[in-house]
Amino acid sequence: MNTSKCFGLLASAALVGACSHPVTHEAQSQSIAFELLANGQSARCSAPLGPLGRDQIPAQLHDARFYVQDVVLIAKDGRHVPLQLTTSDWQNANVALLDFEDGSGQCVGGTPETNHEVRGSIPPGDYVGLALTLGVPPGLNHTSTELEPPPLDIAAMGWSWQAGRKFAKLEVDPQGGAAKVDGSRSATWYVHLGSTGCTGNPVTGETVSCLRGNRLPLLFERFDPRQDAVVVDLSALLAGSDIGRDQGMAVGCMSGPDDPECGPVFERLGLSLQSGEPLQPGHSPSVARGARP
Amino acid sequence: MKLGRICCGLAGLLLSLSGMAVEGWDWQLPSHVPEPRVPQDNPMSAAKVELGRHLFYDPRLSGNGTQSCATCHVQEQAFSDGKVLSTGSTGETTHRNAPGLANVAWHATYNWANPAIVTLERQMEVPLFGDDPVEMGITDGNRAQVLQRLRDEPLYPPLFTAAFPEQDEPLSMGSVIKAIAAFERSLIAVDSRYDRYLQGQGGLTASELRGKDLFFSEKAECHHCHGSFNFNDQVVHARSRQVEMPFHNTGLYNLNGEGAYPFPNRGVFELSGEPRDMGAFRAPSLRNVALTAPYFHDGSAATLREVLGFYSQGGRNVEHGPRSGDGRLNPYKSGLIVRVGFSEQEIGDLLAFLESLTDESLLRKSAHSDPWQGD
Repeated sequence: MNTSKCFGLLASAALVGACSHPVTHEAQSQSIAFELLANGQSARCSAPLGPLGRDQIPAQLHDARFYVQDVVLIAKDGRHVPLQLTTSDWQNANVALLDFEDGSGQCVGGTPETNHEVRGSIPPGDYVGLALTLGVPPGLNHTSTELEPPPLDIAAMGWSWQAGRKFAKLEVDPQGGAAKVDGSRSATWYVHLGSTGCTGNPVTGETVSCLRGNRLPLLFERFDPRQDAVVVDLSALLAGSDIGRDQGMAVGCMSGPDDPECGPVFERLGLSLQSGEPLQPGHSPSVARGARP
Repeated sequence: MKLGRICCGLAGLLLSLSGMAVEGWDWQLPSHVPEPRVPQDNPMSAAKVELGRHLFYDPRLSGNGTQSCATCHVQEQAFSDGKVLSTGSTGETTHRNAPGLANVAWHATYNWANPAIVTLERQMEVPLFGDDPVEMGITDGNRAQVLQRLRDEPLYPPLFTAAFPEQDEPLSMGSVIKAIAAFERSLIAVDSRYDRYLQGQGGLTASELRGKDLFFSEKAECHHCHGSFNFNDQVVHARSRQVEMPFHNTGLYNLNGEGAYPFPNRGVFELSGEPRDMGAFRAPSLRNVALTAPYFHDGSAATLREVLGFYSQGGRNVEHGPRSGDGRLNPYKSGLIVRVGFSEQEIGDLLAFLESLTDESLLRKSAHSDPWQGD
């Protein structure tokens, strides 16, 4: 049994005697803060986001929710120590939902409650870094929103036609809408990230594999949970995109490998659109370490 | 609806439910049809099927209370709707043609082209919760209200309890989905004139027999994709160990001369993005096919005669408009689709055979009909 497992068991207040190392400290609670920015300001439903996109069109937030998995703090000696997630409406043992929309303003249809933190417990230690993955673990991704406990019970985060979940649902309303090739306009420009090209097994009734995982691993070698936050920057995410128009397929990017809007979006996410693998593991041009709000 | 009638209806229903076995289901299948696979967490029961029937026909299950599953799946039309495309509860148009539901229990995958969806329970989340387009229009915002509507209907609480006796809170959206799936699995059509012919219980006409022989011949090649007992090529049953999931490009379109189909109807390509999946759709079951017009994933063929003309030509040449292009030359077209050149008589014989696949009992069975009618 390794040390982290030992501490994990301690955290659940069970089998203390089974640990092979003498333990002197109980696990401590630890939260990881998240922030969503646009033009350097907190991005919320209630206030304009300012100009976004390569075309710099004034926009408002329409939706902003995403799941994270595999949250790990990195100790000074380089050890990766999993944060044991506390079960709540926002997280189970394996995945947490961050939610920056409150259903107000242009976010109509969303949920009033918001969540900007991942909470858990971890053995006391000197932690200097953070690793996590934007996504839902494969074993949970293909479950039903109507049978799973929170936070996997949100219908809006379900992706029924892909038999999975949207890992990230980031949507903005550009002023005047987005002009489509058929001449009509869409009020909203969408970014939906999730696994694509999935296949099920009719014998078992389960969805078993996907061509593109589209999970985004993030690594911050320097991260102090007391002072720092994980910052998702809409300005950076959309910097290569024209949000005032759509050149075909889904409006914006819904992870379609041949969607013309997905090239720039995936590049800014740091994912290969073709393989669904990270371009530079641990690094995303749209996610950075910032000050804890 | 008057209170007295509600009470009478409820008492009668409970009385009839009390006579049903809680578990188990008699499929009543002829010997040439295997029992379907049923998910372990959703066993069949008479109570569950009866609950599912009530929900299937209940418009209170849509977000705005205007539409039920039966709006697009009409019993008299073998649970299709006769429309090219359907209209959702908020007025949006579906991307694809509403398929019939007969024998859906045996389908390996659902929707027109979706290898990810392999159970009815998962399929149902698309019409219930989908937002592109909105069909039933259930959301996080109105889900509780929809469930409260069901709770307020006196028939439902006892039906849910009877269908899900093991659950502390049987009335949930998860139970709604399971019950409707059970009802859909009960929609079985294996008693056509053709089935009776197979069992030696009746004959086919000379034209129907010629059509049958042509259908199963290497000339017409129909049987390659429609050759199973269910007249398709994706079948899963209780004893399946391995199931193939073929999808086919039949040469309906060829937008750019490079094989493209129109978005968002590019078949499995919409999910996979793999060029080989361009225009690849599931071969639908041909049972009751005479009743499920219009045809193809986009309802673009009005009649069965038009469909047979299409296969006779080995695809479709769209000469005008934004969808122009010679589908017969689609580079992703299945090798099984070749120019057959049917004679008029052959088309007539094939039509006669396809019409013999209609199971009239499906269209009339009261166990499949709207239970809210006559209240």
